[in-house]
Amino acid sequence: MTGDVPAGAAPTANGGGAPSTGSIYDLGYRHYDGPRLGRRHALVALMTYTIRTTYGIGRGGRAKIIPFGLAAMGIVPAIVAVAILALARQAGEAGQLLAEASPLRYDSLYGAIAQIVFLFCAAQAPELLGKDQRYHVLSLYFSRALARTDYVIARVGGFAIAILILVLLPQAIVFLGRILSAPDIVAELGDNLPVLPAIIGQGLLTAGLLGAIAVTVSAFTPRRAYATAAIIAVIVIPPVIAQIAEQVARHDLARWTVLASAQDVLTATNAWLFDVRPDSDPVRAAALGPEIYFATAIGAMVVLGAILLRRYQRISA
Amino acid sequence: MPVGAVVRFYETARHGRTAGVSLACDRYSRPVSPLVSTASLTKRYPGVTALDDLSVDIEPGIVGLVGSNGAGKSTLIKILLGLIDVTSGSATVLDLDVRNEGPRIRQFVGYMPEHDALPPDLTATDLVTHLARMSGLPANGARERTAEVLRHVGLYEERYRAIGGYSTGMKQRVKLAQALVHDPKLLLLDEPTNGLDPGGRDEMLRLVERTGHEFGIAIIVASHLLGEIERVCDFLVAIEGGRLLQAAPLGSLTGRTGMVAVEVEDGEEALAAALAARGLPVTPDGRALLVAIDSEPAYDVVRDAIADLGLALVRLEPRRRSLEDLFRDDVPSTPGGAAAATATPVAPGSGPGATS
Repeated sequence: MTGDVPAGAAPTANGGGAPSTGSIYDLGYRHYDGPRLGRRHALVALMTYTIRTTYGIGRGGRAKIIPFGLAAMGIVPAIVAVAILALARQAGEAGQLLAEASPLRYDSLYGAIAQIVFLFCAAQAPELLGKDQRYHVLSLYFSRALARTDYVIARVGGFAIAILILVLLPQAIVFLGRILSAPDIVAELGDNLPVLPAIIGQGLLTAGLLGAIAVTVSAFTPRRAYATAAIIAVIVIPPVIAQIAEQVARHDLARWTVLASAQDVLTATNAWLFDVRPDSDPVRAAALGPEIYFATAIGAMVVLGAILLRRYQRISA
Repeated sequence: MPVGAVVRFYETARHGRTAGVSLACDRYSRPVSPLVSTASLTKRYPGVTALDDLSVDIEPGIVGLVGSNGAGKSTLIKILLGLIDVTSGSATVLDLDVRNEGPRIRQFVGYMPEHDALPPDLTATDLVTHLARMSGLPANGARERTAEVLRHVGLYEERYRAIGGYSTGMKQRVKLAQALVHDPKLLLLDEPTNGLDPGGRDEMLRLVERTGHEFGIAIIVASHLLGEIERVCDFLVAIEGGRLLQAAPLGSLTGRTGMVAVEVEDGEEALAAALAARGLPVTPDGRALLVAIDSEPAYDVVRDAIADLGLALVRLEPRRRSLEDLFRDDVPSTPGGAAAATATPVAPGSGPGATS
C-alpha cells in the first residue's frame, strides 16, 4: 500500500519557471466546468443503464448468456413462423392451406414465448435490484441528483423496456417476414398494419405487468436465489390455483381466482386484442368481460408501483 | 548531536504544521455565508434523540466532525444531504434548505458513506462513470472526470479490475473517488479511515488533506478518532449525545499553551538549571521539560543552551492542549464520550491503534 501514491500526488502544480522540454508536468486537480444536466438526465441514464445491465451489455460474457439465450429462444418460433409462411407462398395454392394451418401467428406468438418471458423476469430482475440493496449501493445513488422516486421509475421503466424488446422482437420478425416474403409488398403492408396496435398493446401490458411483479418481488428479496424462486412462484402458482378452482369449485366466486394469475390475465387480453379464442381453460370458464382483465392488469401495475415507491421511500440508505 | 540537527528540529517545531492551516485560512478568508448552518436542529427516532438542538455554523476548509460512535455524526451528515427528515429546527447547505432542496444540494455535495457500498462485479471505472452520470454529468464528462479522480486517489493502474478483488484501502479510495467525481463544492466523508491499517489510514488522511487544501474543496470529515481529526482538520465540531460540545478552529482548541516540551538524553537537570539561569522557567513533565516560551528569540535560547551543554536532543515541540482533554473537561457527565476519547491516543505523530 505505502508508496503507491501516484506521480500526480506530488504537489508540483505550479512549478513556476519556463516550461522546459522533456519534463512531465503534474497538472494538478482540474475542476469540472462542463454541464450538469441534473435529475432528468440522471433518470434517463439509469434507465438506459438498466436496459444494458438486463442484457448483460457492458458486463462480462457470462452475464450475457441468460438474457441473450432467452432472447434467441424467443426468436426461434418467429423464425419458424416466417419460414413456414415463405414456403407456403412458394407452394402457391396448395401452400394457402399450409399457411392457415401454421400454429404461429401474431396472436399465438405471445403464448409461444410466454414461458421465456417469465424465465427472463425471474432471472434478470433480482440482478438489478437485489445487488443495489445487498451491497448497500443505494446510499451512493440516493446521495446524488437522483431522487428515490427517480430510482424506482428508472429501474422499473428500464426493465419493462428490456421485456418489451424481448416480446416485440419476435413479432417484428414475423411482421417483416410477412411483408418481405409477399409478392405485393405494399398490399401486404396494408394488410398487416392494422394489427400493429394489438401487438404493441399486448407487448406493453406484458412488459408492464410482468416487469412490475418481478421488480416488486426483487425489491423485497435482496438475495438473488430467493428472489428468482419467489418470482417464479408468484407467476406460476396462481394459474395452477385458477385451474384447480375452475375444475373443482362450485361457487360462483371461484371463477374470479383467474384474475390472480398474471399468465391468464395476459392470455385474456391477448385474445381480446387479436380477436381470437383465449387459449386458457380458466379464462374461458370464467367468462369475464375483457374490460375486467384490462382493469386488473393496469390496476396491478399501479398498486405494485405504489408498493415499490413506498418501499424505496422507507429503505435505509 | 550536531547543532545542525538541533536547528532542523527547532525549525520544524516552530513552523511545522501550522503552515498548512494558515495557508488554508488565507484561501478561505473572503467573507462568505457559512457553508453549512444548522439552527436548533433536532432529530428524534422512536426512543432515541439522535440530534438535540444542534446549532452550528461551518465555514469552508477541512472540518472535523468528531464524537464517539452513536454521537449523531452520521445522522447529521445524512440530514445535510437531505436524505432524512428533520424533526425540528433547520439546516442549510450552500444556502440551500435541506428540507426541500435536497436534490439540488446533492448536485454539489459528494458523500462517502461509512459502510461498504460497492458492488463487487463492477470495475472502478465502470462504477465511478455510472455514478458520475447519476450526478447529472453527460457521458463524455463522466468518463473524463472518472479518469481524473481515479488518478487523484491513486487507483489509475487498477481501474479496470473488478472491485471485488480490491483491498480495503483501495475500496475506500473508490468510495472517495465516487464522492469527488462530480467535482462537488463540499465533501461529506463519514469515517473515511474505517477498517484501514495504520499505513492505509495515513494515506487516506493525506488524500483528504490534499483534496481539501490543494483542490480547494470544502470537507466535513466525521471520525471518532481524535488523532486523525487533529492531523488534517482546520476546524473542529465536537458532538456528543447529539449535542454540540465545541465548534472552533482546531488551533484554538489544541492551540499552543505557550509551553514547549524539550526532551534530551541524560542531562535534564543541567538543562533545567541552564535555562533557569537564562531566565526561562522550567517544569519537569515526565521525561520532558516544559519551558514557557513567550517570544521567538526564546527558541534560540533553548537551542543554544542545549548546544552549549552538548546534549543529545530527542524532541522539541510546542505543547498543545490535547483534544482528549477537551472531551474530558467538557463532558464529565457522559462517561461514554470520555471513554471514547481516552481510548484514542492523540499525541501528534502516533497514529491511533486499530479500532473499529
